Amino acid sequence: MDRAGRKLGLYVGQKATDAAAIAPELITAEAEPEADALALEALVDWCVRFSPAVAADEPDGLFLDISGVAHLWGGEAALLADFQVRLTANGLAFRIAIADTPGAAWALAHYGEDGAIAPPGRQIALLAPLPPAALRLEPETAAQIDRLGLKVLAQLFDIPRAPLARRFGMETLTRIDQALGRSKEALTYRRPANPWFSRLAFAEPISAPEDMARVAYDVGLQLCARLEKEGQGARRFELCFHRVDGRVAPLNVGLALAARDPVRIAKLFAPKIETIDPGFGVEVVTLEAAEVAPLSGRQARLDSLLEAGGAEGLAPLIDRLTNRLGEDRVWKAQPVASHVPEQSAAPGPPLAPPVAGWDPERPRPLRLFSRPEPLELVMAPIPDDPPVQFRWRGQMHRVRRAEGPERIGEEWWRGEIDEARTYHIRDYYRVEDEAGGRFWLFRAGIYAPGVEARWWLHGLFA
Amino acid sequence: MTRYAELQVTTNFSFLRGASHPHELVQTAKALGLTAVGIVDRNSLAGVVRAWSAVQDMGRAPGIKAFTGCRLDFADGTPSLLCYPSDREAYGRLTRLLTAGQRRSIKGECELHWEDYLQHAEGQLTLVVPPPHPDAAFEADLNRIAEALRGSVWLAASRPYGARDLHRLSKLAALAQASSAPMVATNDVLYHGPERRALQDVVTCIRETCAIHEAGLRLEANAERHLKSPEEMARLFARFPGAVERSVEIAARIQFDLGQLKYEYPDEPVPPGKTAIQHLRDLAWAGAEWRFAGGMGEKERRTIQHELDLIEELDYPNYFLTVHDIVAWARSQDILCQGRGSAANSCVCFCLGITSVDPTKADQDLLFSRFISRNRNEPPDIDVDFEHERREEVMQYVYRRYTRERAAIVATVIHYRPRMAIRQVGKALGLTEDVTAALSGTVWGSWGEMVPDEHIRQAGLDPDNPEIRRATALGQELLTFPRHLSQHVGGYVLTKRRLDETVPIGNAAMKDRTFIEWDKDDIDALKLMKVDILALGMLTALQRSFKMLPPRDDGSPITDIADIPQEVPEVYDMLCKADSVGVFQVESRAQMSMLPRLKPRRFYDLVVEVAIVRPGPIQGDMVHPYLKRRSGIEPITFPSPSPPYDPDELRSILSKTMGVPLFQEQAMRIAIEGAEFTPEQADGLRRAMATFRNYGHLEDYEGLFVEGMTRKGYERAFAENCFKQIRGFGSYGFPESHAISFALLVYASAWVKWKWPDAFCASLLNSQPMGFYQPAQLVRDAREHGVEVRPPDVLASDWDCTLEPVEGQRLRAMRLGLRQIKGFKEADGESLVKMRAAGVRTLEAFARGLSRRAMELLAEADAFAGMGLTRRQALWAVKGLLGETKVETDAPLLAGMGRPEAQVELPLMSLPMNVTEDYRTTRLSLKAHPCEFFRGELAQAGAVPAAALKHMRDRRWTSVGGIVLVRQRPGTAKGVVFMTLEDESGIANIVIWKDAFDANRRLVMTATLLQVHGQLQIESDVVHLVAKSFTDLSHLTARLRDEGPAAASGRKAGGLIHSRDFH
Repeated sequence: MDRAGRKLGLYVGQKATDAAAIAPELITAEAEPEADALALEALVDWCVRFSPAVAADEPDGLFLDISGVAHLWGGEAALLADFQVRLTANGLAFRIAIADTPGAAWALAHYGEDGAIAPPGRQIALLAPLPPAALRLEPETAAQIDRLGLKVLAQLFDIPRAPLARRFGMETLTRIDQALGRSKEALTYRRPANPWFSRLAFAEPISAPEDMARVAYDVGLQLCARLEKEGQGARRFELCFHRVDGRVAPLNVGLALAARDPVRIAKLFAPKIETIDPGFGVEVVTLEAAEVAPLSGRQARLDSLLEAGGAEGLAPLIDRLTNRLGEDRVWKAQPVASHVPEQSAAPGPPLAPPVAGWDPERPRPLRLFSRPEPLELVMAPIPDDPPVQFRWRGQMHRVRRAEGPERIGEEWWRGEIDEARTYHIRDYYRVEDEAGGRFWLFRAGIYAPGVEARWWLHGLFA
Repeated sequence: MTRYAELQVTTNFSFLRGASHPHELVQTAKALGLTAVGIVDRNSLAGVVRAWSAVQDMGRAPGIKAFTGCRLDFADGTPSLLCYPSDREAYGRLTRLLTAGQRRSIKGECELHWEDYLQHAEGQLTLVVPPPHPDAAFEADLNRIAEALRGSVWLAASRPYGARDLHRLSKLAALAQASSAPMVATNDVLYHGPERRALQDVVTCIRETCAIHEAGLRLEANAERHLKSPEEMARLFARFPGAVERSVEIAARIQFDLGQLKYEYPDEPVPPGKTAIQHLRDLAWAGAEWRFAGGMGEKERRTIQHELDLIEELDYPNYFLTVHDIVAWARSQDILCQGRGSAANSCVCFCLGITSVDPTKADQDLLFSRFISRNRNEPPDIDVDFEHERREEVMQYVYRRYTRERAAIVATVIHYRPRMAIRQVGKALGLTEDVTAALSGTVWGSWGEMVPDEHIRQAGLDPDNPEIRRATALGQELLTFPRHLSQHVGGYVLTKRRLDETVPIGNAAMKDRTFIEWDKDDIDALKLMKVDILALGMLTALQRSFKMLPPRDDGSPITDIADIPQEVPEVYDMLCKADSVGVFQVESRAQMSMLPRLKPRRFYDLVVEVAIVRPGPIQGDMVHPYLKRRSGIEPITFPSPSPPYDPDELRSILSKTMGVPLFQEQAMRIAIEGAEFTPEQADGLRRAMATFRNYGHLEDYEGLFVEGMTRKGYERAFAENCFKQIRGFGSYGFPESHAISFALLVYASAWVKWKWPDAFCASLLNSQPMGFYQPAQLVRDAREHGVEVRPPDVLASDWDCTLEPVEGQRLRAMRLGLRQIKGFKEADGESLVKMRAAGVRTLEAFARGLSRRAMELLAEADAFAGMGLTRRQALWAVKGLLGETKVETDAPLLAGMGRPEAQVELPLMSLPMNVTEDYRTTRLSLKAHPCEFFRGELAQAGAVPAAALKHMRDRRWTSVGGIVLVRQRPGTAKGVVFMTLEDESGIANIVIWKDAFDANRRLVMTATLLQVHGQLQIESDVVHLVAKSFTDLSHLTARLRDEGPAAASGRKAGGLIHSRDFH
């Protein structure tokens, strides 16, 4: 629910149809709690730049422990202002408050004035006018306290503790104490994510390409040593050159099979390093490994690769080809579930295992032309028997054996809808000529008297 | 000439597979010159009656047959079989097979094994369906099947235009040869014409829950699976001589026709040694003694005699006995019931206790023979309504009496609703969620037209965009499709022989419920018999009120509707004033504005009242002419044909309704007598009317009807209006025969309301949820009628509302029951009442026997007020007694827990807050109306009290403010919104024309407290305020909760009363 929606009087928990009746232009989307949690996690990670101690407060908040870091900004107010600017720049809607305790900060952020900073030791005055719900109580508990006439925390703080606890549980007392700093609250701070990470910092910024290639190897050596020690290999590496101006230039390489050989990895990065603009120099280089998986010691050695057959033998070649030609240039055809011939195959990973899915009852040529070629002088009995002869690239072919038609309708959902297009079909025939050449040709459109049939060659069988 | 019968046809009753209606397939097959079509839906016979009916509709020489068959898909890997019963007995075996398969599966599924088929295979003609790639395993299966069913098994082979069709067919031909299961050509039809391919692809996507772009090979490669002509089939199978001709040979062996299903009535109700008609005569005459209590005159005697003779002649005594049996049992259990329908308005039904309408009364003229006709061989129709809370008992009785083998509920075919259709199609076409949601958001309500372009534009979409157009066009087609079968609310089929030999019976979603595969229309088409056992809330309320009524002047209690004094003028006076809150059927706003105009003075006026505010008469433009004639503004004339036709031919049909046709029966008779419909045509028209929502059939009769009438010299406009009305009946038909029974309940409930408003209100509240009004309005109405209403109280309330005597008063006071407390459970109410009977009187003592939740609810609902405790005190005390138990053990922090508690002072609750809390906990407040607290502001803003409106002049500009109770946007009202406001003085009815609504849509839809400025419209005491502008006062309601220290931000204002909105 965004601000505009609230303004229209819509509210969370309202039926979508009721809301749409109020605002027909309403845009709705399915709730995605998992995606929301991921986004919050990302925000928590991002906040590490303010303080290492960040804790998510699901579903839609976070705690930032700024003890001892506010001075870096020149005080809490400045930190808060900087935080607000950066969050706004990221297009986020938010409310913030600073207080001595997480409980008080939460209360102020949710029910107090946005951007409130509670003076140390004096939050009680700011909390006093807030409703019981500000204590992070169960909604039903907070509502009941409210119904007893205890509308603000000032009233609640005055109630003797024993009767209050008897009625609303220890939880309520704990929340009061946490807000007022009488008892500690342990937050679960987020830890750094990926352990497969290595970093080299330089006393002097570097910028020469050969230096950059060298540090790339050095940082790789560090990480690969750790990978080897733990019997792991990785299929993806990200190399980051952190420039003095704060910018980061990342490079990525992917491998067909997991590896941890620093030389090989450096080789893959080498041609790409030239593309990096070091600016005024690079002061830190980091390398991160992803898709880490166990790898035995034997397979990691270069010499053993030469002996190994099959995929493992092909792997270095494919890595080299791929990194030279580009990732989309080396592939293996994979079947795609589509009736339309030109869409029935797609590039797949070059080392993917052989797949089932090519249907023998639906023969497809080994070579499929990306553009069908027109045929001339085609003779075929009407309406849809196989042709007996055709001319292709100036040469006549007499058909000795034929099979078909296989009728494939157009994908009606792609075109316009004005015409009934049931006649938009192709009739495919598999034919063999007298010389033993085998062709895949089709007639476009259903037979109609008086309309000249158009024929095309779409592929060649082995 | 080549002949061909297509024996593999899948209809859209193979849900999400077939893409054509049965009637489309039959009609196309006829046009193509096929000999026959065989309907084979998957493990189901749900579509066969419709196909068969489509053939019947073609008249005496249809030139095509529709065979009843079934495609059997097996759970054990047996190849699918197409099964055609060759005769009635084989058909019974097929339905038993399907019943067995369905009963052992969950709803909508059917688990079959080869052994099952073997046991039921006698007399079946079997076509084996080969898999896409016939392999060795199939060969073995085929040999096994052919061996077992020798002589009546074939191999079905089709040409789907795959790459290797001929190769595959040659292989199949060889298999057929080797196994002696001759090959027969079929086209494995999924739709009647190739243009349905798109829709078939879409339903495939819906079935597979995927978008069309990713559906890939799950779709058919081409559009070839349609019906093809014999010549085309012969060409396709030219290399396989005999394959096409063989289909006709198989067809010739099918001797079974659905018309052979003959209904036999169960004979349970007939005692041994008597014939059914003897027994019926005995019962009827005995009943006549009871009903007429010795006062039976010659007229009554003759009527009963005549009806009994007619029943005997048409062989319906068992039907009446069956209904009587059920009704008599219900009466013996003290369950109130009331029959309706054409046969129900007979003197025999009155005597049998099936209805309480006395058709012999002077002005009723409800001649039974008129609607049971000798010529039309139409089964009698009686629906019986029972008390809604006790209907289940009646249903269980039916199962006990007739056993589950012979009694089952009929199906209801659930169709796609517009929003659903557009949503599913949008999803299948891969439109994004927001576009689909916006498209479906343009559909108001559940039925009606599909999205017009203008709405699409309003939703911010481009109606010319091909994707959008495709979605709306396909959605429109899908709209008419059946989606699944569900059980009918209460239509039972009862048979003499096993029911599962007539129709498959499957499991319902509800445990221990079964229903048959055919719906009401199918049952009608086959002329089987059914009894509707329906639930009606008003019967529950009436029964409850009878139990509370004091005895009549002669000391006898009122126990039945027939005991209520008839034609009391004061009851009609009350109705004429539209004082009808809570009265059956005439309590809606539309009915309330009709009452003062129609001014009912006798029973038949109520029949008209019930029927007139409905789509039929409204769409046929019959309401105003009728009202004008009633009030004498317009003379009563009868439309008449030109010579030589009898100028009075419509007079007898229309005399009761002053020359204006109002009822479905009248429309039918105009078709027969005015437009000279043949019996077949009339039959077709009636069927089309019943199924109009699903098919466009009805249009076929328009020309016939209008031309028929104009040819005879009737005015064209009259004929056209009559047909418009028929169309209106089609969407919500309401025949006179039902209106009569309903009118009796109108009168009965109005009488109770007039005479004993205390008992009336209590019984309505005790029967909730039912009716049009919420408890708050019912209570308010009772108070306006002089009933004292007392709040729910632990020391006085039962679960139900009760009546407490008041010294010196005729009416008793109504004590609200604990059922009014939201969330309070009936079991808690029972234990509370028990404790109170055992002498419990204090909060502490109640707390020992009730859960914390229950005690809190009572406290929050102010139910301890009788003990002198305020809400807050009670809640604090309850929580103190039944607090968080885990606290007890956690001592250190809470030293002194065991000692007496320190006194805690809670703030006093303000009156507005108390009212708010009353509404929150019991949905009504007896303390005050929220508007009382705003009267100052309202008066300042120029709002007059709602009660003052009726004393003002017509057409005056004024304004009124109040809480929004109801918003309605009826489909027949062309975008007009009706709103009901309530303030402390009464109710104001607001009319919002489309322009005013569109300009203020948001406000109208969201405001909880609203001031409306507009012009009064007063016509025959009906007061409406036609809205011009609005002021949203919802923010004021937040003030009710404001009790002092500044309330916190972030809370949603309003929510005081939830309006009921219908869109």
